[in-house]
Amino acid sequence: MKLNVNGEEKTVKDNPSMPLLWTLRDELGLTGTKFGCGVGICGACTVHVDGQAVRSCITPLATVEGKEIHTIEGLARIDATGSIALHVVQQAFIDEQVPQCGWCMSGQIMTAAAFLEENPTPNSDEIVEALGQNYCRCGCYTRIFTAVEKAARESAVQQPMESAT
Amino acid sequence: MTEKNTAESANSEEKQRWHLSRRRFLIGAGLAGGGLALGYLFGVPAARLRIAESTDEGGGGFFSQSNEPLAWFEVKPDSSITLYVPKVEMGQGVHTALKQIAVEELGAPWDTVTVMQGTTSLGPQDSSGTQGSTSVSSSFTPLREAAATLREMLRLEAVVQLKTPSGSLLSQGAGFTTTGGKSITFGEIVSNKVDAWEVPEGPAPLKSVSEYETVGQSITRGDIPGKVTGEAVYGYDVKLPGMKFGAVLRPPTIEGQLKSVDATTAEQMPGVVKVVVADDFAGLVANSRIEAWAALNELQAEWDEGKLWQQEELEELVTAGGPGGVTIQKKGNANRALNGGNVVAAEYRTPLMVQTPLEAQAALADVREDGARIWASTQAQSRVQELVSKATGLDQETIEVVPTLLGGGFGRKLGDVAVEAARLSKGSGVPVHLGWNRPEELRHGFFAPLSHHRLQATLDPNGRIQAIKHELGSGDILFAFFSPLLTAVFGADIGVSRGARIEYDVPDVETVIWRRKLPVKTGSWRGLGFLPNVFAVESFMDELANEADIDPLQFRLMNLPGTERGRKMGMVLEAATNGANWGGSLPDGRAQGLACAHDFGTSVAAVAEVSVDEATGKIRVHHITSAMDCGLVINPDGAKAQMEGNAMWGVSATLTEEVRIENGRVALNNFETYPLLTLKEAPTVEAILVNTGGQEPTGVGEPPIGPVGAAIANAVFSLTGQRLRNMPLSLA
Repeated sequence: MKLNVNGEEKTVKDNPSMPLLWTLRDELGLTGTKFGCGVGICGACTVHVDGQAVRSCITPLATVEGKEIHTIEGLARIDATGSIALHVVQQAFIDEQVPQCGWCMSGQIMTAAAFLEENPTPNSDEIVEALGQNYCRCGCYTRIFTAVEKAARESAVQQPMESAT
Repeated sequence: MTEKNTAESANSEEKQRWHLSRRRFLIGAGLAGGGLALGYLFGVPAARLRIAESTDEGGGGFFSQSNEPLAWFEVKPDSSITLYVPKVEMGQGVHTALKQIAVEELGAPWDTVTVMQGTTSLGPQDSSGTQGSTSVSSSFTPLREAAATLREMLRLEAVVQLKTPSGSLLSQGAGFTTTGGKSITFGEIVSNKVDAWEVPEGPAPLKSVSEYETVGQSITRGDIPGKVTGEAVYGYDVKLPGMKFGAVLRPPTIEGQLKSVDATTAEQMPGVVKVVVADDFAGLVANSRIEAWAALNELQAEWDEGKLWQQEELEELVTAGGPGGVTIQKKGNANRALNGGNVVAAEYRTPLMVQTPLEAQAALADVREDGARIWASTQAQSRVQELVSKATGLDQETIEVVPTLLGGGFGRKLGDVAVEAARLSKGSGVPVHLGWNRPEELRHGFFAPLSHHRLQATLDPNGRIQAIKHELGSGDILFAFFSPLLTAVFGADIGVSRGARIEYDVPDVETVIWRRKLPVKTGSWRGLGFLPNVFAVESFMDELANEADIDPLQFRLMNLPGTERGRKMGMVLEAATNGANWGGSLPDGRAQGLACAHDFGTSVAAVAEVSVDEATGKIRVHHITSAMDCGLVINPDGAKAQMEGNAMWGVSATLTEEVRIENGRVALNNFETYPLLTLKEAPTVEAILVNTGGQEPTGVGEPPIGPVGAAIANAVFSLTGQRLRNMPLSLA
């Protein structure tokens, strides 16, 4: 099977029922996507499929063939100078010193990034609703909320500038 | 990217050799490429050391102390300094905090110092593991002294090499300059050294608190960038070429014993490399995790299920009373004082709870005939080394355990998964990665024990507590890991007793613990007995305040002792209540409750603001104000992060977390049966640091959890008049 992962075509073992999570982690070595529960409750395994946040632990390979898959490793961009530019959500998570153990953070960030793409100017309730399906056992919730709010604010500032250029 | 998580050789060929100097410093020999290594034997109370030495022979190494240096520095010819630490990073920011302490005294630029995670073969050894809110407090003084001594050695050598008077030397980044314009770097100093290094006679001068520039700053954590890019490598992420995946058969019941296994079908399953059966262990190795888990279902096993325990039987078992109680606190004669009169009495219970770090247990084992390497997400690398040695028959010295980053620990990651991975690797002859899945994590580890608390007290007419008795029944926490000799030395479980003592000024007081052997495995959970005990004791304080008809804050302040500890507890109570506007107006349908406690030298208080859904009776915690005096604060933002996390843990445990035993089984499956707090239910948290003058740091990682449960129960009482005495709290 062929998968499009972070903009590259990857050939993986032909196993249509294999959860995407384990192909990403154990076959492609993209271990930034984390295993939490295996049943789609905790959100640690969240990746983007055609821009939508999905839980890769309950997503069979057959359903993502031919689609654009992005993992946390593919969220940052290489900017014009060739250096890595973190996604605004990643930067906000650093600025607010959000992660403790960090295991849930790829899922939190991927969930937030897809959410802000769809709703760039969310109110507080919408942020809580959107991030309210991701577990963080260390209990970084106050900072997760603050960071997503900050990312929303900053991408709102950036977007008009980008469209102007 | 794909190569990043390949487990690399830990360069363990040459174990550091140490030359013991005066003043308990150790100077390393045989450092490759020149350079200087300096270690320091941390001060260990002699009595504890002797206990540890005597019990180590019986295999009780965990929580004991070794004679190896607990931190060491290496100064390289390029002037970079590496600080090897045995403490593992599980999100508590310990590597950053320890670096702050070291850099303060070294005077080296922040970026020239690197903190390296030690392994069991490289860097300092620490058989106590990373636990109990002690990493920073126990390291503070020795680490400073070691850093200052290293700096002094470099300074004295610079004087020699520059042939300059001592007084003319000035600090300049990672080196020195002279008033005459000469300069030398740390790297040049160590490279040019010809004779042996010696530790100066007298103690090196240490900075005073008022001179600190790095300690006390909210320096950003070094482990965070890799955690937002996906590059950070945890135990579940490590890999080796040729690595296969393991799975282990679990008993159906808490007392289940394996009788026999028929592997015929499992061996034919796709991807299966090897089925490993030995004594009470059965597992298999396959080409992928999914194949391993699928094949496990085909292992035909017969079990002796043991007694089919029920929840009610465990609760009965843990009930305090009868013979065998161990008194851990006694002043005056509480029994006599409580015999007659107007005695206030109440009983409280807390349930089995599970740590369930979001990264499940994981380890990679490569067991060969002549030795083994283990990469593990563990809080106790020395214990892993010891357990793997027992399981494989290899000498401990031939086993290197490399701790990875931990996706949460909370007392759970003490090494059982590494032993299983080692057995599978030994049985199959290939490197095996074993990662538990969530049902295993919820059912097959060990749990915070159930506890039962009976409290009785009398009050004088002014609302002062006259007599109080706390009777506590609990399953094992630390005794689960102690040898019989060590349990005899301690008498009562020092994990169970955390927070059990009455901190108030009472003429007649007694605290008694009954150790109850439970049929289910119990052990450490964040804060050990601290949350359960403070839930009981501080709920009871509120009941006494209500009986005396005195505001709960005033009641506590008037009953706290006039000691240093009493003063600190009063200060955090005042900070928390000021922050929460205690007694001020609240939105309709809300009420506040408070609680305070003391643990690991740290005073903590919490105010909870709650409401109750009238239709469902569901309790909602809107806000937690948490105040803490942890002495000298190394990294304020890091300390606040721990307070926030503890608040969430406390709310989650108090409102929802409970493990029940039904028909001999842990009645859990996946998170749908053990839901954790989410952002939707999370309170906002205000974290207030109070330093009432401490010159040294005390514990931070667990103490703030203590008062959260009682603060919530007290708020619910204030709102509804209903006193909830069992965790998790339920108004239904």
